[in-house]
Amino acid sequence: MRFEGKTALVTGGSRGIGRACVAELARQGAAVAFIYQRNQEAAEQLVAELQDAPGKVQAIQADVTDLARAHQVVDSLVEQWTRLDVLVNSAGIVRDGLLGAMLLEQWREVLETNLGGTFNYCHAVVQPMMMQRSGSIVNLSSTAAEFAARGQVNYAASKGGIDSLTRALAKELAPRKVRVNAVAPGMIATDMSQAVRSLAGDKIKDIIPMKRIGNPEDIARVVAFLASDDAGYMTGQVLRVDGGLSLGGY
Amino acid sequence: MPTKEEVFEKIRTALVDALGVDEDEVRPEATLVGDLGAESIDFLDIVFRLEKAFEIKIPRGELFPEDVLTNSAYVKDGKVTEEGLAELRKRMPFADLENFAQNPVVQDFANLLTVADMCRFIEGKVQVTG
Repeated sequence: MRFEGKTALVTGGSRGIGRACVAELARQGAAVAFIYQRNQEAAEQLVAELQDAPGKVQAIQADVTDLARAHQVVDSLVEQWTRLDVLVNSAGIVRDGLLGAMLLEQWREVLETNLGGTFNYCHAVVQPMMMQRSGSIVNLSSTAAEFAARGQVNYAASKGGIDSLTRALAKELAPRKVRVNAVAPGMIATDMSQAVRSLAGDKIKDIIPMKRIGNPEDIARVVAFLASDDAGYMTGQVLRVDGGLSLGGY
Repeated sequence: MPTKEEVFEKIRTALVDALGVDEDEVRPEATLVGDLGAESIDFLDIVFRLEKAFEIKIPRGELFPEDVLTNSAYVKDGKVTEEGLAELRKRMPFADLENFAQNPVVQDFANLLTVADMCRFIEGKVQVTG
């Protein structure tokens, strides 16, 4: 088990990719705390599902846009565990719309949750990880950061920001042996991508070279790799996990 | 309530841990950048360790007010202006800025902070005896 004796915090852990990350890390032996915002039932269900996993799982309610709360959560976990080895920033939302019709609220909410939430939890873990001279942060980006999609200026900007944050923070923390990487999923079968998948239908599979929609576990396994010592010499990288969608060409 | 010696000891431990220097290199007159090789990330590391060692909160930028040096209102042609020096004196009462003030080149600022300055900074935050 790659994460035996390790500890991990996952934001946005009750649903989608974050949920798969919680399960993957716990099954590989990590003690995992995950953040959920509203869906207490889903959070409790996940804790119950993983009760026999090698790593103990706990759910914490928090709003990722609240920096003070992020520090409170991290401080209490470090007090409980004495260290924090892994942070996965997975909390994210979409509020799609054409820019000309986009409400300021749609812009702000997406930027504050996706990019702001990532900043907040990175900010909170910097102190313990720097002081323990180890740690791995994995941020959830998206291929939407690089490949244009209509109606997603807010989402694309937030994920592009995460890519840049990842690289800059990686450079800051590398001398302290703290690694920072990101995973950029393509089209993944989650509630969040449901609307896009419904609109595009089967056509979407045709443009993916591997001819299938990804599943959250496809992403979680790569997140676990980046979080683990197997990726000990990687930092500042954004790995695309998209079945070849971003390859372009014919 | 720590003594001045205890303050120095804790600061020495923080600097040894953060910078990987030997204990005997941490003398009161040693400069953090020039003598002990501190870089910007090290200042953050040092602040984290001081917070833990003394159980205090140190607002970012209080020990090393970098924001003054990147503020165009306080810097002209690579030198800190009179207004900038006044701001630094106000923000860093624990440091001796007079030598720096004679030729306040921004790039030289990082090298003025000494271990003794850091002791005075902490003594201003915790009550000391003796």
